[in-house]
Amino acid sequence: MFRPFADWLANTALSKVLQDQAWVVPTSQSIHIIAVSIVFGSACMINLRLLGMGRSGRSVSQLSTTLVPWMWRGLAVLLFTGLVQTITEPVRQFVTPMFWAKMLMIVIVTSMTAVYVKAVRRNAPLWDAASTRPVHARVFATMSTLLWLAIIVCGRFIGYTWSFYA
Amino acid sequence: MTIAALLSAIQAWPISAALRGETAGTEWLFPIVETLHVMALTLVFGSIAMLDLRLLGIASRNVPVSRLSREVLPWTWSAWGAAAVFGTLMFMAKAETYAGNLQFRLKFVCMGLAALNMLIFNFGAYRRVARWDSDDPPMSAKLAGALSLSLWIGVVFFGRWVGFTT
Repeated sequence: MFRPFADWLANTALSKVLQDQAWVVPTSQSIHIIAVSIVFGSACMINLRLLGMGRSGRSVSQLSTTLVPWMWRGLAVLLFTGLVQTITEPVRQFVTPMFWAKMLMIVIVTSMTAVYVKAVRRNAPLWDAASTRPVHARVFATMSTLLWLAIIVCGRFIGYTWSFYA
Repeated sequence: MTIAALLSAIQAWPISAALRGETAGTEWLFPIVETLHVMALTLVFGSIAMLDLRLLGIASRNVPVSRLSREVLPWTWSAWGAAAVFGTLMFMAKAETYAGNLQFRLKFVCMGLAALNMLIFNFGAYRRVARWDSDDPPMSAKLAGALSLSLWIGVVFFGRWVGFTT
């Protein structure tokens, strides 16, 4: 279904310009890895704190205030570099289910994080004290960590699976 | 035994053949090992970047440097250990090719310089951390943070480029 669109995109002038520059994809992928490190590293710090681990003594709300803006910045970079890679090699992305699974999980984890940030902002003391922290904080932390890991797996496996479908 | 003979011997090991996917049922071994390497490196870079940005006075300014170090460095080291194990496995698959690859060599030059930078910082500015723990770090600490960040970006870039040049 997406194949005709991928073929059309691959033939656009912009895609052709990018395809002609051999450095574009490796450079974009390198920046993509740097950005995913910032996002996943920050998510892990917050999630571990929500699960009752972490040694800094920083509260959940302090950690979130510091790290969540970095997660959004990282996500913006991921979106941009991902877009560059998709425009340059659309077929590689659109044919493999790994790409679509990754996109779906990104939507889920991003929405979850946005809801979490709002909840913490609304009632920081509730989330900061381990005794009053909602039970679903643990569910959120576990799901967020697993989703990010699965996103990394799918991202890496786009490159290993697309040729089966193309 | 010369280095060339050693590399050729490593490559001849059965486990190296399995990592190249040459043994039945091992087709997915290398992609899996590579994905684990990527997961580990995101945590290495993500955690070290937090500390580097704190040293630069850009992020987490409300946390004392020593406390942030105690919080993130155990994760940096554990993740680095994991990345090194999976990286070694990847190396074994094509030891001769990687050893002769320019990007691969530059990656290790960057990592060596990052280690040197860390040692100089540890025995230099960080020994007097009590004086500036909660303040804007001194110029030598900022320099160490900037160098560390640049060198680890170099490690990620050259690492990704190895995959495009071997």
